Amino acid sequence: MEFGTQTIWDLLSGYQKKQFKPSEVISGYLKNISERDEKLNSFLQVRPEETLAKARALDAKLDAAQNLPLFGIPVAIKDNFLVQGWQATAGSKVLSGYVSPYTATSVQRLEEMGAIIIGKVNCDEFAMGSSNENSAFGPVRNPWDLERVPGGSSGGSSAAVAAGLATVSLGTDTGGSIRQPASLCGLVGLKPSYGRVSRYGIVAYASSLDQVGPFSRTVWDSARVLEVMAGFDNKDATSSKHPVPRYTEELKSNTKRSFTLGVSRAWLEGVDLDVAKSFEAALEVFKQMGGKIVDIDLPHTKYALSTYYLIAPSEASSNLARYDGVHYGYRTQSAKSSEELYSRSRGEGIGREVKLRIMLGTYALSAGYYDAFYLKANQIRRKIQEDFEKAFTQCDFVVTPTSPSTAFKLGEKTDDPLKMYLSDIFTLPVNLAGLPGLSVSCGLDSKKLPIGFQLIGKPFGERELFIAAHQYEQIRGEFPLSSMAKGKG
Amino acid sequence: MLSREEVLKIAKLARLTLTEEEIGFYQRQLTRVLDHIQDLNQVPTSKEGFVQHVPSDAQCFREDRVEPFLNHDGLINNAPVVENNCFLLPTLVEHS
Repeated sequence: MEFGTQTIWDLLSGYQKKQFKPSEVISGYLKNISERDEKLNSFLQVRPEETLAKARALDAKLDAAQNLPLFGIPVAIKDNFLVQGWQATAGSKVLSGYVSPYTATSVQRLEEMGAIIIGKVNCDEFAMGSSNENSAFGPVRNPWDLERVPGGSSGGSSAAVAAGLATVSLGTDTGGSIRQPASLCGLVGLKPSYGRVSRYGIVAYASSLDQVGPFSRTVWDSARVLEVMAGFDNKDATSSKHPVPRYTEELKSNTKRSFTLGVSRAWLEGVDLDVAKSFEAALEVFKQMGGKIVDIDLPHTKYALSTYYLIAPSEASSNLARYDGVHYGYRTQSAKSSEELYSRSRGEGIGREVKLRIMLGTYALSAGYYDAFYLKANQIRRKIQEDFEKAFTQCDFVVTPTSPSTAFKLGEKTDDPLKMYLSDIFTLPVNLAGLPGLSVSCGLDSKKLPIGFQLIGKPFGERELFIAAHQYEQIRGEFPLSSMAKGKG
Repeated sequence: MLSREEVLKIAKLARLTLTEEEIGFYQRQLTRVLDHIQDLNQVPTSKEGFVQHVPSDAQCFREDRVEPFLNHDGLINNAPVVENNCFLLPTLVEHS
């Protein structure tokens, strides 16, 4: 049997019917990686023997497969998560060779429920980027078209699932790094509410914005991963005690619910024609389901990009101060003073875009500029939050395209940082407001590249997002696979 | 455009050694982003609207209890240079 295109649901049903065993599934996925990933560069580390040994241990427990919600599911993990014994480079030369001394809470919860880590996947350095071209270990390519980017920063996470190299994957999303690559690769991508999933054991970028979330082929799979890993964690003081619903139970009901979707027309200006068409078609589907579309006003979202590029770099400049060449990571060979040891290790080890953001943050926080930049940005962040709060008195969700364009070519946006940043205009405000956002595929453009739309929910409204997106998915039908997932890449 | 001196000052504060080529590069790139960010000045704001934490019911306290960390070797093995179970730094006596 061929593996690679199955969902979690497919694999769990197969295990229960004893159609196959975990070791067969894992062997199948490892074979796909060895045959296909040379073209994609999505995996940074695989450990086939250890992974297979774990799968064989599960083979013996096949009779009890239904007791574990992720029994024998191959999961790829972005390389900015710590998994004990595995490398964690976060896509940076600074952390080349770093071996994690402990495991992130999110990953630990997946493993405890039967998931098998199939490998660590590539990403933009320190999760900063929208195309995966900022990785110190080379760019990742899009399985739908190898000349194009998979999106970023979680580009390896999206390419791996879209190419059939993992059933689901984990990524992190600080300004769109799960939703945008999910959209560009034809997948479902969730950025949960801030505080929904523990951040313990992920390499920090901007701590007030970072969240962990899944990539999957279906909404049900996304719900399954979230229900396993969400919830309070004593090791992350910002994780929430808000109860975690059994999201997949909510998707069993056949009762159709109708929702009111808010659209801000002013926000949609400048979107590619094919994306706009596909987005309108998705709105029509919601109308068919009895839903209503209302116009809403989000007057401050146009300032989200500037707000984000002050707050995120400010937090990054502080978080990344730890890479100083002393306790771990890259150390320069040519330091004559402690000052030189830090500056040279950082100068030599850190990549181009990350240095830009560290300097932006340093500037914004420096004496004389703090009020004009960092304080101002936080005041506008509050206004963006208020815009959403007001919108949610009129609608259940705010809906946007996930990205203004489909997958672009490698090198197309690398010269101008702003061009690249604009890939995230629909996703950035969601992180600033701490809200959940779910990207779902809604069509293909004229070049046969995937298009996605984003549902933005109320705080801790993941349950409603899943219900609405699942209903949409039933009407849309199965989304096409990339040529590579079909084994033809 | 940010001056060469301004870029060098920021790089010093950020503890980043830059090459000659990088100094020019970041003069242009930082200026490009900072110019864009000026649009925030169009938004009237007051000090009351400051956000210190994102909205969530998070922010909890717990007992400040020491818990053992069992993977000491895992930490020390990541060090660039180790001697006698200590992180080793080059001799860094700075002459005044």
